[in-house]
Amino acid sequence: MSNDLAALSITTAAKKLAAKEISAVELARACIANIEKKDPLLHAYLEVFADVIAQAEMADKRRASAGRGEAHPLLGIPLALKDNILIEGRRAGAASKILEGYVATYDATVTAKLKKAGIVFMGRTNMDEFAHGSSTENSAYGPTKNPHDKTRVPGGSSGGSAAAVAADMALGALGTDTGGSIREPASFCGIVGLKPTYGAVSRFGLIAMGSSLDQAGPLAKTVADAELLFGTIRGKDPLDSTSIDFQGSTLDQGSQGQTFKKIGVPWELFKTGVDKDVLENFSAALKKLETQGFETVDIALPSAGLALAVYYIVMPAEVSSNLARFDGVRYGLPHKGATQWEDYAKTRGEGFGVEARRRIILGTYVLSSGYYDAYYGKATAARAQLTREVAGVLNSVDAIAMPTTPTPASRLGEKTADPLSMYLLDIFTVTANLTGNPAISVPMGTVAREGKDLPVGIQFIAAQGDEKTLFALGKAVE
Amino acid sequence: MISREEIENLAELARLEVHDAEVEALQKDMAGILAYVEAVSAAEIPNGLAGRDMSSLPYNVMRDDTPRTQDDPLWAKEEALRQAFPTSEGGYNVVRKIIQKDE
Repeated sequence: MSNDLAALSITTAAKKLAAKEISAVELARACIANIEKKDPLLHAYLEVFADVIAQAEMADKRRASAGRGEAHPLLGIPLALKDNILIEGRRAGAASKILEGYVATYDATVTAKLKKAGIVFMGRTNMDEFAHGSSTENSAYGPTKNPHDKTRVPGGSSGGSAAAVAADMALGALGTDTGGSIREPASFCGIVGLKPTYGAVSRFGLIAMGSSLDQAGPLAKTVADAELLFGTIRGKDPLDSTSIDFQGSTLDQGSQGQTFKKIGVPWELFKTGVDKDVLENFSAALKKLETQGFETVDIALPSAGLALAVYYIVMPAEVSSNLARFDGVRYGLPHKGATQWEDYAKTRGEGFGVEARRRIILGTYVLSSGYYDAYYGKATAARAQLTREVAGVLNSVDAIAMPTTPTPASRLGEKTADPLSMYLLDIFTVTANLTGNPAISVPMGTVAREGKDLPVGIQFIAAQGDEKTLFALGKAVE
Repeated sequence: MISREEIENLAELARLEVHDAEVEALQKDMAGILAYVEAVSAAEIPNGLAGRDMSSLPYNVMRDDTPRTQDDPLWAKEEALRQAFPTSEGGYNVVRKIIQKDE
């Protein structure tokens, strides 16, 4: 067994902290030692905070003065945050040049909740610029590399968060997921990633990408860790009117003592485009569930084949609106032209990277007069149809299972020249964002590529507000 | 294929400076992406499904329209917001004159 404290799960570290076997300072030092050793190659962090040890000392003091059993289980746990989640007084930039120099003026609600619990914030992690991408190669500050094979991508857009956790440079992390940005990197890096139900976690203080799709959620080494983090950040927030309080429902009973039995598998969707060995791992994971008493049934999701196309209309439409606020007038790095219009055009032309510009143009197109009905109007109708189908299926099964991604991690640069090939990595993850359902990715073994074992994940989708089913299923396969 | 003029018009609508070489790349990328999403425009969707299916939402959210008070933690953020201005003068954000005279 490794002596590396940073390799502990959050749940185990929390027990050791509570028993005073280890201190928060020792945990933080262990993470920093790994960062110094590994991050120059991996580039998971955009910034490691200078006051990590001071934060850990504060956490140790809080524990010393707290009564027995009173401390939050996350007190003193080192966590990394994606660069699009605001922490008051610290830099935040969504890995974009347009936010160069921006310092957050307030805490995101998830940040405030983690502060209250006593988290030690390790730093801000790399991401695709404004969360636009599936590989972290769209970061304005250079790509992150996959800890399992440094010639490959960690996935994205929360690739820095996933790599930081997989390489023991933080015990857990938060990311955001608009079309798979937590689950896909979790799958590629061999860890657990949860996209909560739309509205379960407040979006206040996240740098918005697609407002009807975005959710913040945990990346962690175990399902129990993800459950603990989700339990801490969830809840209705008066500052986010789309947040919903699921507390008081059956959901608060935790993931123990489940009686559900049925898992739906949309086999039709996997006939083409999924690597053979990924599908073999998927079937093996389902067998494992069957030996534990679960029943798997073939289900049909006729509109799911359209999900990615729907997503690539709805998402850029929302991106083009959300990114309109970045014009250099109120924050960020302005570029000057001859007129105000030129100021805007230059600031945005030089501040946004290629993919952000591509999505702004695409979003502007699908929303323009003459095209709106054929694209955006039709896409919202197809989205409603898909939502009904998923809700209908979940009336007869407890969860839907799919591979998280059709392939393992791609090589760096493999998909950057052809945006559509990159988009196809999200084919199985976008559905849950379009329908608002919660979804989790849990490791389901590895596949060999060029002599390296690369992790792949299995994804479960449950009814809205039913994260407990996801945690129970996740624990059954891990 | 989307024409050069269309891309330039979209860029102007989006207040985005694009260089000549990029216009060509955007024409090519947009053609590929639009061909892919075309499946949605062509799909048969049952009538009455325009807009988001609100019936799938647990409940609607209402709140009273009450002004913030000084005990609200966001109340004290004014100075911090001002400090984020790229250029400020006397506590105000300096911007250009928007309306220009015709030459």
